[in-house]
Formats: sequence, C-alpha cells, structure tokens
Amino acid sequence: MRLSLVFSAALRESRGARGRLLFFVLCLALGVAAVTGVSALVASIESVLRSQSQELLGADISVDARRPIPESIDGYFDFGEKAERVDVRELATLVAAGGKTRLVELKAIEGSFPFYGSIGLEPRGVLGALLTDSKCAVAKDMLVECDLKVGDSLKLGGAQFEIVAAVLDEPGRLDMAFTLGPRVFVSLDGLARTKLEGFGSRTRYKALYRLPRDPGERVLRAARERLDNEVDDAPYFRVESHRDAQPALRRSLERFESFLGLVALLSLVLGGTGVAQIVRAWIAARTQGVAVLRAIGFRPREVLAMYLGHVALLALVGSAIGATAGSLLPFLVPIVAPELVPDGHQILWEVAPFAKGIALGLGIALVFSVPPLIAIWRVAPVRVLRNDVEPLPAPRIVTVAAALVLAGGVFAAAFAQARDPLYAVSFTGGLAVLAGLLVLAARGLVWCASRLPREGLNPYLRHGVAALARPGIGVTGATVALGLGVLVVSSMVLIDTRLTERLRTALPPDAPSVFLLDVQPNQWDGVAAKLRGMGAPEPRSVPVLTARMSAIDGVDVKELSQKRPDDSGVGRRRWVLTREQRITWMRELTPDNKLIDGALWSDPEHLEVSLEEKFAEDLGVGLGSRIEFDVQGRRVELTVTSLRKVEWESFGINFFLVAEPGALDDAPHFRLAAARLEPEAELQLQSALADEFPNVTPIRVRPILDKILNVVSKLALGVRVLGLFTILTGLVILGGVASSTALQRSREVALLKTLGLTRLGVMRLFFVEYALVGLVAGLIGSVAGFVLSALFLERVVDTAPQLPWLALPLAALAVAILSAACGLAASTRALRSRPIESLRG
Amino acid sequence: MLSCHQLTKRLASGGHELVVLDHVDLQIGRGEFAAILGPSGSGKSTLLGLLAGLDRPSSGEVHLDGERIDNLDEDALSLLRRRKVGFVFQSFQLLSNLTALENVLLPLELAGATDARVRARDLLEQVGLGERTHHYPAQLSGGEQQRVALARAFAPRPKVLFADEPTGNLDAATGARVLELIADLREREGTTLVLVTHDREVARLAHKRIHLRAGRVERIEEGALA
Ligand SMILES: Nc1ncnc2c1ncn2[C@@H]1O[C@H](COP(=O)(O)OP(=O)(O)OP(=O)(O)O)[C@@H](O)[C@H]1O
Ligand SMILES: [Mg+2]
Repeated sequence: MRLSLVFSAALRESRGARGRLLFFVLCLALGVAAVTGVSALVASIESVLRSQSQELLGADISVDARRPIPESIDGYFDFGEKAERVDVRELATLVAAGGKTRLVELKAIEGSFPFYGSIGLEPRGVLGALLTDSKCAVAKDMLVECDLKVGDSLKLGGAQFEIVAAVLDEPGRLDMAFTLGPRVFVSLDGLARTKLEGFGSRTRYKALYRLPRDPGERVLRAARERLDNEVDDAPYFRVESHRDAQPALRRSLERFESFLGLVALLSLVLGGTGVAQIVRAWIAARTQGVAVLRAIGFRPREVLAMYLGHVALLALVGSAIGATAGSLLPFLVPIVAPELVPDGHQILWEVAPFAKGIALGLGIALVFSVPPLIAIWRVAPVRVLRNDVEPLPAPRIVTVAAALVLAGGVFAAAFAQARDPLYAVSFTGGLAVLAGLLVLAARGLVWCASRLPREGLNPYLRHGVAALARPGIGVTGATVALGLGVLVVSSMVLIDTRLTERLRTALPPDAPSVFLLDVQPNQWDGVAAKLRGMGAPEPRSVPVLTARMSAIDGVDVKELSQKRPDDSGVGRRRWVLTREQRITWMRELTPDNKLIDGALWSDPEHLEVSLEEKFAEDLGVGLGSRIEFDVQGRRVELTVTSLRKVEWESFGINFFLVAEPGALDDAPHFRLAAARLEPEAELQLQSALADEFPNVTPIRVRPILDKILNVVSKLALGVRVLGLFTILTGLVILGGVASSTALQRSREVALLKTLGLTRLGVMRLFFVEYALVGLVAGLIGSVAGFVLSALFLERVVDTAPQLPWLALPLAALAVAILSAACGLAASTRALRSRPIESLRG
Repeated sequence: MLSCHQLTKRLASGGHELVVLDHVDLQIGRGEFAAILGPSGSGKSTLLGLLAGLDRPSSGEVHLDGERIDNLDEDALSLLRRRKVGFVFQSFQLLSNLTALENVLLPLELAGATDARVRARDLLEQVGLGERTHHYPAQLSGGEQQRVALARAFAPRPKVLFADEPTGNLDAATGARVLELIADLREREGTTLVLVTHDREVARLAHKRIHLRAGRVERIEEGALA
C-alpha cells in the first residue's frame, strides 16, 4: 500500500475528530513538555558550563604535574594545527612585606595566560603585559591585611618585587577550593630570580594549551590514550580538557538528567496510556468502517497503517505543542532562579531537546496505540452483512508483536532518557509491575464494589458504587493512570521531604563545623588552646601524611596503571593509582568507622594498613595485598589487614587509608584538625589564627552544606513540578473517559431526570462516582508511593522512612476532589440533557 | 466463474448448533446475473458472504474465477476481494468521514489505479451524481448514497458484484432506479452479478433464480422472465 494513501487516509480520518484531538493533544502535550523541559534545561545548563569551564581552566587543555612538563608532549595536542602553549608554576611560599611574613600561593605565569577569561586587576590592565621579572601582582585581601599598596615592594625568596596591581578575582579559583593563602602573581623570569624553585620545593607545573578548533571528545580521548601509552612519565601527568573541567558537576548534571528525564518520561508514558484509551474508544466507534474497509479488500495491517497514520498526525500536533512549551522553559530560569545564570550569559533556543520531545511524543503515542488497534484484526468482514457477528480472534502473533512493540518502545524511550540500559530495563520493568499492581488493585476494587451489599447505603453513594462496579469503559484505565500519577508525586514528595530534612539536620550536634588544614605538629597545642578559647568543646586532630603509592604486591604502579583500561573517560581509574594519597594513623578506629573484614593491627610481623572498602575496590586490592608507598623518597610497604566501612555523613575526619601507629610517625607530616564552633565564632576564626598560625587554613562546613541544600531543594522542586504533570495527565485521562461516555451518560441523565431527580441531584450522583474513582486511585497510588519511597530511602540512601499518617489519606482526599471536579467538568454536556431525550431511544 | 460444492455453515448459538446453510451446490457462469431469493432467515446473506470470501464455511468448497477460496487465510481473502469482488449492501455502508468521491476513490487507490480520479468521476457521472462529488454521505439521500456505493463497487472493475438487498432500504421508485443502474453497469462492464432480494419483480431480470429455504436450495430457475 502506498504511503500517500496512508497519509490521505490519516488526514480524512481527522475530520470531525475535534473532541478526540483535544484529549489526545492534552495527554501528550503535558508529557512531551515535561520531557522536553528537562532536556532543554540540562542543555542550557551545559552551555553555561561549557562557556565557564574554558574560563575555569583558562585553556582548552591543561597538563598538570609535580615535575616539569617536557615540550615533547606538545605534539599530542596538535590536531591539524599547532596548539598554543603557556607554562604556569604554582607553589606555596612565604612572603615578607611591611615587617610581616605570610604564607602565599605563588603563581608564575607567562605571556598570554590565561587563554580564556581574564584576571581582574586594579588598576585595570593585562596581567601578562604588566609582569616583568621584577614586578608582581598581589591579592587585594592581602594588600589590605598587610597594609600595603600598589607601588610598594615585597620580598619573595631571595628577590625584591614591586607590586604593580591588586588582584581582584581569578577565574578557576573557587571559594570552596583548597587554598593555603592569598595569591601572588609573578612572571616565570621573576620566579627564576627568587631561586625558590630548587630542590625539595613542592612546585606544581602546568602546561596550558589553546586549540585552534575543538577536536571533539573522541579525538581528545585518543590523544590522551596515546600519551598514556607512549610517554614514560604519563602516570604523573594529569590531563584535563575543558570538557571534563568540573567533572563532579558534570557527573551530577548527567545523573540529574537521567533521573529527572525518567520522571518526566513517566508523565509521557501516562499520556501514552491516555492515548491508548482514546484510540480504544475511537476504534470501537469505527468498527463498521473497518468492516467496510476489510470488505473492500484492505488487509488488517493496511487498516492499521491508515489508523497509525492518523494517530501520528494527532501525536505530531500534541508533541509540537508540548515540545514548544518545554523548550521555552530555560527562558524562565533567569526569572525564577537568576543565581543560576551567570551575568551576560545568553540563553539560546536549542533544537535538540525540541526534536527529542517530538520524537518521544510521537514514538510513545504510536507504541501505545498499537495494542488497542489490535481490534482491527477482530473485526470480521462479514459485519457488513449483519451486525451481530462474533468478533474474530486476533492472531496470536499480532497480540505478541503488539506487546513487544509497546515494551520495546517504552524501553527505547527510557534508554533515550537515561542512556543506561540497566536504568531503562528497571524503568520499563518497574513500570510494568506497578501498572500491573494498579490494574489488579483497581479490578479488585471493582469486584468488591459489585459484591458490596448496597441496600443500607445512602442513595448517592449506592449509585456511585454501582457505577464503579459497572463493566464500564475505562474506569480501570483511568484509575490506573491517576493512581500512577499520585504514586509518582507522593513518592517524590516523601523522598524529598525526608532527604531535605536530613540534610538540614545533617550536621549532627557534636559534628565538627570547621576543619583546619596544614597544622604543623608543633603548632597543634597552640591551635587547640585557641579553639578552646573560642568555645570549641573538644578540638580533635589527626596526623596526615601525603605520599604516592609506588607498587602494589611488588608490581610497579606505573606498570599497573598502563595496563588498566580507562573506562571512566576522565582518567579516574588510573588516577586512583598515581595520585597523592593522604594517610593517617591511629590506634583505635573512631565510631563512624566499622570493620567489615579482617582485624585491626592483627599482624605482628608486618606494618599494616586498613582500607575503606570502596577505595580498596577501586584500587583492586583486598586483604593481604601489599601496598608500597614512596614517603619522601623512603619506600614503606604496608599490608592490608582490614577493610572498613565509613559513615561519611557523620562529617568526622575520615580517610581511605589508615596506617598502623608507628609505621609512618617519624615521616614529615602535618595535622588535620576539626572543631565545633558556633557560627559567630567561626567568622572570627580566620583572623584569630592569621597572626600566630598564618599557614593554617580553616574550612567551614556550614556554607558547603547550605550550598548542597540549595541544590537539593532546586532538584526537589523540579521533581515536584514534573510529578504535577503526571497528576494532570491522569486527570486529563479521567476527563477523557468521562467525556467519551458522554452520550451514554446523557441518556442515563435524561432517564434520571424523568424519574424526578433534579439537576443538582444528578450532579451529586456524578460527583460521588468520580470522587470514588479518585479516592481509590489516590489511596492505591499514595500507599504504593509510600512503599516505593520507603524502599528507596532504606535501600538507596540509608535513611529510615517516616510513615506520614495524615498525608496519605489527605492526598487521597485531594485526588478525590480533583477527580470529581474534573469528571463533572467533562460531563457538562451530559448533565444538560433533558428528560425528553430518554423517550427518543 | 463462481461455484460452490456442498457448502455448509454451522453456527453455535446459545448452546446448540444452528445449521444456517446445508450442503448447497451452485454454479454461476461468467457475466451471468443470478438472484438469490428466499424468506427472511433462509440463509441468503450467509450464502452471499461465503461466495464473496467475506466469511469461511464450516465445510464445502467455493471456487471463484478458477481459484478455490474457502480455505484462504484472512490476508489472501482480502487480496481476493480487492482484485475480483465488489459489494453493494442494503445499508449502503459508505464511510461517513469521506466524501462521495473519496468513497469511490478508496478501492481504486488501494488497487493502485493510475487513472483513479478520472474513473471515480466518470462513475459518479454515470450514476447521476457528477454534481455531488464533494458531499458527505450524511448530506445525501438514501438513494443517492446507494448510487455512490454502486459507483464504489464498480470502480475497480470487479469480476463479480455481490449485492445484498440493495433496494431494501429504499422506496419503490428509488429502488427501481438503483436496479436499473446496476443492470446498466453490469451490462457495460460485463460483470457477473449475484443479487440477494426479496422482490420477485427484481428477480425476473435475472438469468438464474436460486430459491433458498431454511438453508437449502429449494429450486433453481434458469432464464430471464422479462
Ligand atoms: N452471526 C450469526 N449469529 C447468530 N445467528 C446467525 C448469524 N448469522 C446468521 N445467523 C442466523 O442464520 C440464519 C440465516 O441468516 P441470514 O442473515 O443469512 O438470513 P437472510 O436470508 O439473509 O435473512 P434476511 O432476509 O432477514 O436478511 C438466521 O436464522 C440468522 O439468525
Ligand atoms: Mg439478509
């Protein structure tokens, strides 16, 4: 059959389909708007990130190491045209100025640093141009603190520098970052003059590259792999591209996208069930037409194609409306949450989310119409001769194929949303199970309603119960759809209130609120005394030593890391081997550590280490493995004799690696301290420590928690909004059912009126009926939602759920009222019918 | 052209079995006009449906245009009807959401005819509805609807036209006009016609009259009576 026939048939079928069109479009548009909205939001956040991440990195690619970076690696970043390179060095050092000494983070740069973004200076100027070998630029804070001004001079190492500018801000230096002191910029030549860069200094070397063109993710990864395989020192180089700048943020964005994407898909799938009901009612009304088509010689699959064409046409309208609305969502962000949009960032309309929304809407509508369209196979062509012909059985292969198409379609949509086959399978399977349970519950209810003795009931209630029991059109479907919507919203609300509540009280009353980095062992007594003086009940500190691993079980780490496949894409699996590790030692574990395997300090023969379980897994080691560390040139081998589980949420000081006391004690180390202070005392801490202990950096926990809480509450808001979409879709479906039975209902109403019932009375009847549907859906949905959220909280985030005694029945009640209102609204036409109509048959 | 042998249709109705057609034997030649007569409930429509490949018999054989059709599956039957068979029904059976022209076009488009529009217009012209091509069935009278159905039935040049009481829902005058048209078109197109009717007057025109009673062939009269 030709496509043009399908197309023209689809158009013809659309005549007089206004009622169908309305519900069809509403059902789909809501879901498509949700789906498109999520991807559009993510796309626009991504574009913000992209523009920011080049600035944060200051380059397209940065190579970072504790050793000089040879020019021989430049070739790896030539993709056709030569990449531009600048070198940067960073080290912490002391500066003497105005009679004071202070620890600063010195950064030596050359020429065109940074490639992207700019460094704010006062007076305004370009950093690279200002810095000659005797000039420096200093953080504004430090100038104020040390009572210096532009034009003064200071001493770094062996050399004198003139301050030519104050540094106001520097991209890439986040407020949460690990900073040792204020920033001082010099040129590479200037650094050479200081002679600080000699033996034993802890200089970080960076080579920054600017590429003429973005070579794309894959090419970059390939280049990195070549570098890893061909360059000996590669394990000590950390290569970052602007694409994987802010990896944590990106990863959470991805997770955010797949999670919210699936929640949004839920309302689209719900819309799909609505579509299925509309199609079912429509095809039932078309039985005679189908029989005629079959008699004329259409094969069932040709009739299917014609009707699918029509579905596609309606779906296109609905999806286009939904996708348009959804893709405009990012433009609301500057109004609702201006803090998320950096100044001057232009939000652009993106095609991809729009196209994705249309594709998903169309796909879902089509796969959900296939099962009801099986009815085509059941229409016997002989129907053209007489009306009471038994329907034919649908061929088994057709029913099976339809089920497969539906399941496959939902799976494909879930995969498109989550980009993870496991998620997609769980989504599809979970949905099927939930829908199955809801169908069972709804059927059970109908069964009960048909058995319930109705004599004693109030007449309205009796009628409502009877209506539920009626082998009616789509009451089950509407209950399931609405129930699923309620389920989504209630489980989301339950999860998110519980999580927010937990985060808000996340800082347990005795947990530390500040951490102090870089406390020298001999400074600890003084620092502790100061902390006590500021009201900290019991300041604690642990020794921390940084060292790299040199071998595992006798195999060189470099060799290991080269063999290890890098499947994370950002070098994490290798990085875990070659990065600098922080190690502490203690006699007994703190209460937030639980031994899960082995025994602590149980081997008198060897020096021992205890590993956090996930870390051990990442490293690929277990009990009995020997890990050799390079502790400032000395090799120390530790044997793994226990594995621990750490309760990170306790906010205590915890480490992946805990060594046996005595093994490392005499190596140079510093102490990490923690204390609990009142918020006001925290604010004064920095200045209180600055004079006596300028090298100690305090980090406050509360502002970090506030940031997380802020993000979580935004996410929760998104989920609630999306959940609302599912409820709305459920209500639209209910309305669709109500109005598709309108004709039948109007006869019923006419009859009731003939029997003497007033219009108000009829409305009360209907109200009770639809309210009962809503009540049932609300109850089933919210109970299932509670179960689901409890499972999630207990299994996934280890939080005890709380049974919301009041919220469940209230939710059910609210849904009942909503659905009654919706049902009444959709029945207005039926309600208006006059008694006389019952006489006309 | 069209024949059946020991054609039997049984139906399970309310617990017991009902024999609607009982071992019917028939032969209808190419270009012939056969009328099926009989009282209500005698099995006329059932026989028509079996001969036309709309339904399958419980036992017996049906041959249409040299092809055995009683054992074909649904798809094959569809293709057979598409290529060889046309229908006119008592209740017109036009598709209500299509215009007169589109109703006539449908089988032509399905067959992939290249001159579909010309042919459809021509046929509507012949049944006297050249001016009403863009009207929907609801805007046409019963007689007009049946004429559209006629045009649709003849459109793909079927070998056999099956008509089940085409005048049953029409008043006498209109019915006569429709019958006239059927006869004319059949003549012109050389179509074999199988027509179910109550009306003895109508049956007089037929070359062959098959009388059914209670699912059996009571007698067959040959030769036109007109
Ligand atoms: N699908 C069916 N279900 C039940 N009974 C049937 C079915 N089809 C036919 N019958 C019965 O078979 C008998 C013959 O029916 P058929 O429609 O062929 O009669 P008919 O001669 O066309 O009658 P009429 O002149 O009223 O159209 C009738 O008694 C009818 O009730
Ligand atoms: Mg009949």
